[in-house]
Amino acid sequence: MSEIRKGTPAEELDSERRFALEQQRVQRAIAIATPFISVVIAMLVGSLVILASGQSPAEAYSAMIGGAFGGWRQLGETLLRATPLIFTGLAVSYGFRAGLFNIGAEGQLFLGGLAAAFVGLQVGGLPPLISLPVIIFASFLAGAAWAFIPALMKAKIGAHEVITTMMFSYIGKYLVSYLITGPLRAEGSIPQTTELPIVSQLPRISDVLPFVGQNRAHIGIVLGIIAALIVWWVLKYTVMGYEARAVGFNPAAAETAGISVASTTIKSLCISGGLAGLAGAVEVMGVHYRLFDQFSSGFGFTGIAVALLAKNNPFGVILAAILFGSLSAGAGTMQLEAGVSQKVITIIQGTIIFLVGAEMIVTWAVGRVRARKGV
Amino acid sequence: MLAEIVTPELFASAVRLATPIALAAVGASICERSGVTNIAMEGLMLVAAFAGVAVTLLFGNIWVGVFAAVVASVVFASLHAWSSINLRSDQIISATAVNILALGITGFLMETVFGHPGTTDPVKTIPPIYTVPADAGPVWTWIGTVFFSYTPLVYVGMFSAVFLTWALYRTRWGLRLRALGEHPRAADTVGVNVLRGRWFAVLISGAMAGLAGANLTLEQVGSFTENMTNGRGFIALAANIFGRWTPGGAYLASLLFGFADALQLKLQLFADTINIPSQFFLMLPYVLTVIVLAGVVGKAVAPAAVGKPYKEKG
Repeated sequence: MSEIRKGTPAEELDSERRFALEQQRVQRAIAIATPFISVVIAMLVGSLVILASGQSPAEAYSAMIGGAFGGWRQLGETLLRATPLIFTGLAVSYGFRAGLFNIGAEGQLFLGGLAAAFVGLQVGGLPPLISLPVIIFASFLAGAAWAFIPALMKAKIGAHEVITTMMFSYIGKYLVSYLITGPLRAEGSIPQTTELPIVSQLPRISDVLPFVGQNRAHIGIVLGIIAALIVWWVLKYTVMGYEARAVGFNPAAAETAGISVASTTIKSLCISGGLAGLAGAVEVMGVHYRLFDQFSSGFGFTGIAVALLAKNNPFGVILAAILFGSLSAGAGTMQLEAGVSQKVITIIQGTIIFLVGAEMIVTWAVGRVRARKGV
Repeated sequence: MLAEIVTPELFASAVRLATPIALAAVGASICERSGVTNIAMEGLMLVAAFAGVAVTLLFGNIWVGVFAAVVASVVFASLHAWSSINLRSDQIISATAVNILALGITGFLMETVFGHPGTTDPVKTIPPIYTVPADAGPVWTWIGTVFFSYTPLVYVGMFSAVFLTWALYRTRWGLRLRALGEHPRAADTVGVNVLRGRWFAVLISGAMAGLAGANLTLEQVGSFTENMTNGRGFIALAANIFGRWTPGGAYLASLLFGFADALQLKLQLFADTINIPSQFFLMLPYVLTVIVLAGVVGKAVAPAAVGKPYKEKG
């Protein structure tokens, strides 16, 4: 903008307005592009790590893609792993919307799983149309309950939810560990609960659509999509969702406008916890049919990456969950065929969070490229 | 039973168990005082714990291992500093990224370098500076055990708490650092370089987390296990809050957590007589953290500008 301006004032005004519009358009494009660029850069970082360990990134990634999308079975595995991530992703993003960082989704997931196993073992004999909703509702309540004390502490005395939900996460894991080695333990050498009756199990997709063949994916993925729709609707069209967004955007302004920040905080963190609890439910009801202490492979923490990558958009959460589900499904094949440690997935996840968090990196990089091209 | 529980060893074990938390908490207090939250302490400790063991195994010298632990942690801390200070990203998110990266990189290197997940080969830990002779009288057994029976980094922890408290309140650097966390714009106006001051504080917290990780693996456990920090970095943040954002307070608060941990370990030995499942003992440090936060947070006031990115006018 350093060139000397020529032309009539009207023309100048017009060109300035066009410049401002252009800037706005670029900003919006960058905002939309950031997640995609972040994923690409993170994959590149991943390939550097693989290279540094003396392996071939091309071989590793092609094995990974094969393991995630190579056929019905692989595709099913991807959806299977995406399912809990949709719920934890929705959980974390609902919290973010209300200005809360629910880093302890893993603990709420454990409690949700516990409720699913406990209630699931009691409802034998009921028709599935009753038993399944009852179990799912119980899991939601359990997850919400596990978030309640951190929520209360946040609302009443300002204790940071990052520390409290994290602490409750550890407490929840030890609680589950105690229950499955003690009161809820089934006969046998492994500490775990007895298998859920058939009315407490989520049907597999292959039961409904036989052509997908041997396939572990279950209808939890459909429930996840429904949950995303509900969360979207709640945030957009309900008073509760509006209040959550208002508090997340500017708590002082929300309070002035008559919204109770304390009660919105409690409600929002509990809903977030409930959604994380559902992730535990789909794992217990759809995958393992029982509870044991390793039943979650860090879905609560991956949920943070899902929410950030999705920019807290419920539909984005579905896409991001499928992305991370495919990484996780493909990682095993990658390790087996290309000999690259699965942990590279965690590095990619961390890099994605770093890049999405530091949105300015992309803005800065795009700015540099545009400056060089003289656009 | 009480005489068997309340021994000099209980208190010494409390100080030892408190040390990784304390080193990190002291570092966190400096970092937060400059206006940068650092929930990456957990990941920094983990990276340091791994680097310490790996480099010790590689070079056969444990002090090189301690040095490597500090360097590794500082490198990762600079990632958090760059993102949260220069790029002005959300400090919680950038620290979460560092935590997850730490988990991934230590796990990846574990499998790539050692060829298997889980736990590394053992290293010979750094010995305590003094061992109380078995035939010492009760007075010397108490004094010797409670004050002189520790490994070097335990004393580094105590010294750093005293030194940094002094530096924070009695030096020009300390005054400026506190200004950065309370009112960075004012500090900037009178000519303090906000970004550089915050960078330095984050790097100090990185170095302290490095010592914490080194203490954990090279002085206590003697090997690295994936995710072995087990929430200590988060407990350290709670200790920092309980200690009201002062290095000395953070250290004393950490002693409380160390004592709880020592007590639960001791009580587990009597688990048969008191008949409480071990999981409840293991929960204790985390429950205590929540209780402590519930009890003090309302009264403790955080630095006004903590967590807020600062944009220089220009």
